[in-house]
Amino acid sequence: MIAPQGLRARQPSRGARRWPAPAAARLMRLELRHNAMPWLLPLAIALFGVLTYAKTLAMPPLWHVRADYTQSGLVLDFATSVAGAAAWMGSREARRRVTDLLETVARPRFTRLLASWAATSCWAVAGCVLCLAAVYWATSLRASWGGPLWWPAVVVVASMPAFAALGFGAGLLVPSRFTAPVVTIAAFFVVALSTELIVGSQSYWQISPVVSAPWDVGADPGVATFYPYLPDLSIAQLMFLAGLTVAVVAAVTGLPRGSGPGGLRVAAAIAATAGLLASGTAVALAGTGTLDAHGMIAIPALHDAAGDRPLRFTPVCSRTAIPVCLNPAYEAYLPAAASALGPVLSEIAGLPGAPVRVVQAAAIYRQGPGNHVSISLAGPVISGRPPVYRLLLPDQLGGLQLSAGQLTAALRSGAGPSIVASVVDNGPGASAAQRAVAAGLLLAARVPYRSLAAGTVSGVVAQGTPVSRSVQSRGRRGAGAGQGLIPAPVFAAALRFKALPASVRRAWLVRNLGALRAGRIALARLP
Amino acid sequence: MSSHRLASPPGGTAVRPSGVPLRSRPAPAGTRLAWLYLVSRRVPAAAAVIAGCAAGLRIALIAHWDAYGALQLPLVFETLAAAAVPACSASPFGEPERVAVRRLPWLRLATALALSALAAGALTAAGTGAQLSGGTLDVLRNVLGIVGLGLLCAAAVGASLAWAGPTTYLLVGVYALYTQWHGPALTTPWVWPARPPHDVGAALYAGLVFVAGTAVITVRGARDPSGERG
Repeated sequence: MIAPQGLRARQPSRGARRWPAPAAARLMRLELRHNAMPWLLPLAIALFGVLTYAKTLAMPPLWHVRADYTQSGLVLDFATSVAGAAAWMGSREARRRVTDLLETVARPRFTRLLASWAATSCWAVAGCVLCLAAVYWATSLRASWGGPLWWPAVVVVASMPAFAALGFGAGLLVPSRFTAPVVTIAAFFVVALSTELIVGSQSYWQISPVVSAPWDVGADPGVATFYPYLPDLSIAQLMFLAGLTVAVVAAVTGLPRGSGPGGLRVAAAIAATAGLLASGTAVALAGTGTLDAHGMIAIPALHDAAGDRPLRFTPVCSRTAIPVCLNPAYEAYLPAAASALGPVLSEIAGLPGAPVRVVQAAAIYRQGPGNHVSISLAGPVISGRPPVYRLLLPDQLGGLQLSAGQLTAALRSGAGPSIVASVVDNGPGASAAQRAVAAGLLLAARVPYRSLAAGTVSGVVAQGTPVSRSVQSRGRRGAGAGQGLIPAPVFAAALRFKALPASVRRAWLVRNLGALRAGRIALARLP
Repeated sequence: MSSHRLASPPGGTAVRPSGVPLRSRPAPAGTRLAWLYLVSRRVPAAAAVIAGCAAGLRIALIAHWDAYGALQLPLVFETLAAAAVPACSASPFGEPERVAVRRLPWLRLATALALSALAAGALTAAGTGAQLSGGTLDVLRNVLGIVGLGLLCAAAVGASLAWAGPTTYLLVGVYALYTQWHGPALTTPWVWPARPPHDVGAALYAGLVFVAGTAVITVRGARDPSGERG
């Protein structure tokens, strides 16, 4: 039969005939074009820009800090939109009342629904990758050391199909106009407020993809700079998310009657069971995690012993009288550290027993009762011969991030007195002369008066004192040093000592420092 | 809208399969039409969602929450209750209904006001006798403001996706509450959930959004779903 001219089907081109697009690809293309997620994507990206991106870029340019914060923020920013859009897509057939009609088409129900879920996931993943790329690119421009941490990024990307699966399943099972908002809020509620249930570092709730680091420590600058980043928790989270996704997708698309041939339903049942097992195992593994000494979650079954070896790096040093050497990741902190400690180091450089170098050291983390974590210097304050002063930057103690000015002030009033105290041996039980000399040196170095008392009472201890952290006290910073005023005669002697010319002060110290440290010099003998 | 639901409005003449009428006196036409309108907008389901929110909030308030949770929890339930209101603005009939029904704007207005009052009332009742952060004024301001936002979204993008506005605002609100501890704090009255309950500026802005949303939905109704995605 010859078809009339107007009704004749257009002949496909030779290329199209030779390489016909697979039906699945065509279906996927259709689903991508008619998906609700592209409409919500600008909203999610805008949320990310306002809530997460701006704050991330305000953080120190340390890969671990930014990657951790991005993981938590990005998951929260996208979870609600993805779950809502997927719920909306899942309820589409019922809303449009085409369920019965679609039973008659050639493609099984499983294929149709899988394509719809996959399209939603693809859009969400694309948006996520865009946001991650923005953060990682901006960080790469400013980070002085290290490289991108991919585990947090992979967890973020893997959580998108999981949220899409949960939303899609809900929309499929309860096709109502209220399903999408309910699922959206429920997703937020579960993701954001489930962290309330985390107590200590051994918690099953750490499996939530919003948890990127020990919950009581957070995105801490002291983590993953001296020791490698531990991917234990990320591996468990990935296992959980992948298992959850497979289980939900297989259960809601492949298991119901009419989803496809019998073999397909059996495969779906097996996949759903395997997914559930994987998720359950991951939750159990997360529950065995503990806060390790380097501030990360270590899961014994997933732990690689190589992660406990310290990282090798060449420190960056200042040109002060005594060099201040920092981990290269903290290079941005070096000017502030040099400017804060430079005057103090100039006063003590070359004195017998004075440190030849000030070196940044790693912190040690200990889980306390409940949500308390103590962070302190790992090892002694002074080590080696010739002596090296081991410094802990204030940012390594957690809490709020400090500006350059705040960091300078904190170092000047914390590490400065501690370094001087290490030279004149001004610890607990020091003589009045030792206290006066220490105070005089600090006054000469323009250290604020309120820091003198702290420095003279227990200056050496100040650096090594653990700083307790907890969820309730986040943002507060323990002083760590004793409080107390300097007695008037001691302060008067300190003022006299400070008033001496620098060369006279130095000459006196070179001659008498040994006797002063031994406590054999009385206050009256001070110049 | 399924036909069997429309066949038996309250007070109407439902008919047994045998053909014997159950009631002889029909309800006034106005009541029947109003009921049909409410059913077509899924208002009973929205009321159930709001009641569920109130019950959920009451149960959640029994548990112990730290400062973050205690502040953010009411906002989560307020947003869900508020998001149910614009969902009821979707019309299953579209243009024919706009042409044929005379008092449609009044029905829209009454529905929006009644559901808003129900949401605020139910959540306030749920917090009675419990430690509800912000108290009644906070609930009233947040619910009305977010309802207004949702109604504006319904007019702009359709009722089907109107929930995106309130849920996005929820994230902004939660973040603003978070910044009360981790500065710089968001203090603009546009983010009213982060303002104290007695803050006049925040109440004015929330009220303004509610009035604008209600006015727009009354006059124009939700955008027709003809071109909606998904």
